[in-house]
Amino acid sequence: MSSFRLSSGGIVNRGNAISYTFDGKAMRGFEGDTLASALLANGEMLVGRSFKYHRPRGIVTAGAAEPNALVTIGEGARREPNTRATVAELYDGLTAASQNRWPSLRYDIGSVNGLLSPFLSAGFYYKTFMWPKAFWEKLYEPLIRRAAGLGRIVTEADPDRYEKAWAHCDLLVVGAGPTGLMAALAAGRAGARVILAHEDFRFGGSLLCEKLNIGGVPADEFARAIVDELVSLPNVTLMARTTVFGWYDDMVFGAVEKVQKHVARPSADLPVERLWRIVAKRAILASGAEERPLVFGGNDRPGVMMAEGARIYLNRYGVAIGRKVAVFTNGGSGYGLARDLMAAGVEVTALIDPRRDSGDAVPEGLRVLRGAGVIATTGHLSLKGMIAERSGYEEAIDCDALAMSGGWSPIVHLLCQRGAKPVWSDEKQAFLAPDFGSAFVAAGSAAGLAALSECLKDGADKAIALCRDLGFAAYEMDMPEVEGAYDPAFASLWYMPGSRGKAFVDFQNDVTVADLALSQREAFGHVEHTKRYTTAGMATDQGKLGNVNAIGIIAGMRGMSPADIGTTTFRPFYTPVSFGALAGTARGEHSRPVRRSPLHGWAAKNGAVFVESGLWHRSSWFPREGEKTWREAVDREVKTVRSSAGLCDVSTLGKIEIFGAGAGEFLNRVYSNNFLKLPVGKARYGLMLREDGIVYDDGTTSRLSENHYVLTTTTAYAAEVMAHLEFAAQTLFPHLDVRFASSSDQWAQMSLAGPKARIILQRLVEDDLSNAAFPFLAAREVTLKGGLAARLFRISFSGELAYELAVPAGYGEAVADAIMEAGQGDGICAYGVEALNVLRIEKGHVTHNELEGRTTADDVGLGRMMAMQKPDFIGKRLSTRFGLTAADRLQMVGLKPVEADGEIKAGAHLLKENAKPSMINDQGFVSSACYSPTLGSHIALAMLKSGRERFGEKIVVWDALRGQELLAEVCAPVFVDPDNLKLHV
Amino acid sequence: MTISFAHRHVLEDHIIGFEMKPNAHHLSVSRRPTIVTVLAHAEAEEDVQLALDLLEDVSIRSCGPCEWLAVSQSSSPEALLRLLRAIPGSSAFDQSDGRVLMQISGPDVRRILAKCVGIDLHADVFAVGASGNMLIAHVAGNLARSGPDSFEIIVPRSYAGTVFEELKEMGREFALTAAFG
Amino acid sequence: MASLITCPHCGVRPKEEFSIRGDAVPVRPAPNASDETWNRYVFVRDNPKGVIREYWHHVSGCRRYLVVERDNVSHAVLSVTDATVAGRAGQKEGVR
Repeated sequence: MSSFRLSSGGIVNRGNAISYTFDGKAMRGFEGDTLASALLANGEMLVGRSFKYHRPRGIVTAGAAEPNALVTIGEGARREPNTRATVAELYDGLTAASQNRWPSLRYDIGSVNGLLSPFLSAGFYYKTFMWPKAFWEKLYEPLIRRAAGLGRIVTEADPDRYEKAWAHCDLLVVGAGPTGLMAALAAGRAGARVILAHEDFRFGGSLLCEKLNIGGVPADEFARAIVDELVSLPNVTLMARTTVFGWYDDMVFGAVEKVQKHVARPSADLPVERLWRIVAKRAILASGAEERPLVFGGNDRPGVMMAEGARIYLNRYGVAIGRKVAVFTNGGSGYGLARDLMAAGVEVTALIDPRRDSGDAVPEGLRVLRGAGVIATTGHLSLKGMIAERSGYEEAIDCDALAMSGGWSPIVHLLCQRGAKPVWSDEKQAFLAPDFGSAFVAAGSAAGLAALSECLKDGADKAIALCRDLGFAAYEMDMPEVEGAYDPAFASLWYMPGSRGKAFVDFQNDVTVADLALSQREAFGHVEHTKRYTTAGMATDQGKLGNVNAIGIIAGMRGMSPADIGTTTFRPFYTPVSFGALAGTARGEHSRPVRRSPLHGWAAKNGAVFVESGLWHRSSWFPREGEKTWREAVDREVKTVRSSAGLCDVSTLGKIEIFGAGAGEFLNRVYSNNFLKLPVGKARYGLMLREDGIVYDDGTTSRLSENHYVLTTTTAYAAEVMAHLEFAAQTLFPHLDVRFASSSDQWAQMSLAGPKARIILQRLVEDDLSNAAFPFLAAREVTLKGGLAARLFRISFSGELAYELAVPAGYGEAVADAIMEAGQGDGICAYGVEALNVLRIEKGHVTHNELEGRTTADDVGLGRMMAMQKPDFIGKRLSTRFGLTAADRLQMVGLKPVEADGEIKAGAHLLKENAKPSMINDQGFVSSACYSPTLGSHIALAMLKSGRERFGEKIVVWDALRGQELLAEVCAPVFVDPDNLKLHV
Repeated sequence: MTISFAHRHVLEDHIIGFEMKPNAHHLSVSRRPTIVTVLAHAEAEEDVQLALDLLEDVSIRSCGPCEWLAVSQSSSPEALLRLLRAIPGSSAFDQSDGRVLMQISGPDVRRILAKCVGIDLHADVFAVGASGNMLIAHVAGNLARSGPDSFEIIVPRSYAGTVFEELKEMGREFALTAAFG
Repeated sequence: MASLITCPHCGVRPKEEFSIRGDAVPVRPAPNASDETWNRYVFVRDNPKGVIREYWHHVSGCRRYLVVERDNVSHAVLSVTDATVAGRAGQKEGVR
């Protein structure tokens, strides 16, 4: 309870107080605070419990790398666990709760794990929960699941909106600290299209927390002036609250913008988060550097914090992290902090520097212990003091906060996401970004530079170079003078020898130096193995803070350089991204497009029940009053078509207009049957094969004029057949004069089938539809009464006298209505795809149930459609290969149950009588089945070994899945009008 | 007997009840445009392109090599087809009922479209008069720039409801209105 | 895999507009070519590491088949050519 808000200082808006709660307690902060700074202002250093030992933990950083201060923000469906308090912008009405503690943050039962810590060392889970095997599912897994994890997941549906968007630019600048601001300014002045993306809600980065002057003005004013100029440039886009989390192929970057995460009640017209895909010609990584913790005994005590974090809280938020602050530093950062704290009137009890000497300026009155180190801390829920050691002598020093600085690590994550690993620099004592050439470069402290003046210049220089590379005239900029900076140089100290108590390397996962040592002893020495064995560098922070120390310590244990140890693999995302942002608007009805037939309204009016079929919603059946089951409706529809007439929507079939002198030849090559002699005004059923000889799709193609055909595909294969034809035309037969495009959406197409089809249709059509004038397979443009031009095809899928009429889509509903009205006296009905399926099974017509990727034309009884006299067609060459012509191939047959009420279901297998069900005894399977109201029994189409030789045989239909078995008789696969008498009337 | 068939626009179900007074950001749906697919045969691409450019009151949208959409608000499909079929080396067919034409406009129209299309719509890259086939709200359609702050979208009729709703959703931020125009 | 493909007809486009249609190296044999030649064309595919040539169908754009030459290790796209043009060039080089 010792951190506090100073009476002045910082760039928060002290005139605008903000109310929020933490663990139910009402607190106040200021506009411009983060949740973390507001908590510290209220003396709340303790904010969470650690993952494994449930040790009390405090805020460690003031930024994205925070491992400890993970809280749950929001309530109800908007509750969001594992939010870093250090980057959560404070807003009025914010509610936050600590995690991983029970019953409360101060008294946490789970902390007994700390007493068990000798048993919870690295590899504990792997060693303990292996045996006996039976215990895993019932005992171990539930146990671990309850104990592990931080925040609780939200199970309610997310009430907020999310979006995705694209952005394009010449130069993307990642990070708006001193380097990024200068880079954006240089490129902006050069006229390049610049996007400056910054994670924070305020631009400036370290300029917001440094007590120094740039070009004669305070650093934060300098930053504000640049931002003002950038805002005035129309070619520069500033994106605050935007984290660039991934670098993908071809200079595409992923970023997430928190649009409304800083308001209590988000507007429904805006997303809460927006996922950006940014296409950049060039990019600069100006993500800065992360300060390294020091590894010493008790370094996780609440009150131990990064020196830079302490400086940010002090100078940006006007918050002191304690009343008596000690500093443990191996470089200039700690001296800079001590100076600023003392200037603000905060007591600094001692500065401990492991180096024997350094050139750092020591503020007057500061006690400095050189060649010393911190080996332990005291206190429990908060820091009470620490023990410093120098040359074997120990000294207890009072402090309620301890700021530590172990040097700096450039933040190179993005540049390492595409395979290349960072490179160790002995000179900089840090891992630097790999060199990728000129498209994406690191600049400033992200490139390992230390001094602020160097960073400012590097940002400008690199932006100018990249702009010139893109052809922009970019001019050198005058560099402002920096006054009052401390020297950021440091000497690496990976671990404080002689430490007492646990010395943590990874705070979030409770990994200590002892755990790293154990993993080395137990042969998990490779850095990737050590990560998995100890969990160092896992979970939400991915070791942003601790990984470098872990590598340094492993290197020390193994007597190697960090260069030889290397890093683990960097992958997107840099920081966690919500599933909501990744999904964007693709939820619920927006999850995929819906396709509507032009006859949808007509079908709905007639009471259709719709079924999703791909993206289409197709009319399935049309129940009438009194019909209790779908079967009753379908039976009636089938009977009506067979006895009178029915109208069915077939608009979803693919339609392709084909033109050119070579169109006939083209069709002749993509179909197995002959198309060269198709007369104008005629339709022909065609079969398409794949190049391996298997049937691909079927449909009718009509020749409307000399060089104009219209080809139809099945609904399911419309897109695929189009792509197949394009492949054939563009790559296989490019010399043929043929051009085509889809007209699927242009036409409302309806099938009018049944013995009364002609008399009904003739009432609407001017042209003569008599059998002589418009015979079976006629295909012509006709004129409807009133003058509307339409296409009419006399083709039949049902086996009845049938026509398919196509009218421009906008007229579909009106024409269908007119047909229904014209046929009312004849008892016409609307029928759906279910009835259509029954009609075609009765007639023995195939669909993709039969043409299922393994069948040849001969298998389904269409061997006559293989025009082998043609010199070439797709699939011809391999159609005769061994295997496709074997005598025992499955051939399509019909099945009728021996018992009249027997029900055959699709998917059942066929067995000889008394044969045991086994792969070797399998005789085939049922491909399509239905109840046939025409025959008054169930019928089926099936694929049966040598089926056509077995008509009359009794066979077992075995359906283990549904527990059914019955006897059926094999028959010819045409149950209705086998001689096609109905087609030619 | 002579019958007059009513013509119905696929978006009629979607636009019912919307306020008719357009906001600064507005989506205007064309009721009966004439849209024709034009294909050029081998070696005739340049000649056909030249002939198309000479047509008056017809806007030509590029779809890819040897393929265009000819759009007219004044000619009937029959009249336009007669003109187009006279161009040597070309084939054409009516798509007026197979395509839906919408115009979206407003000062921030590019910010709405950035949520729907992946290409760079900066005027230096996609200038007034430019057009092309692309994914628009996950649907393959044609986008043309009709002005500094206005674009025309052509999508297949069966997908038009989805695209329309998606555009409306993306335009909420800018109070996008929609109506037949 | 590439995030963007520069279509020779449409310009820079996101990968979502394309459908990858497999190896662009095999050439359809003459109808009377040997069983072995046809077997190789239909069923046998190399799986090389490094530079590959694939058909990318620009389904949501110009609907042309493109031959994309790319490195499956570095993900660099080396060239994008209309398949008809590439086929003609291949014929001239005597690949067929």
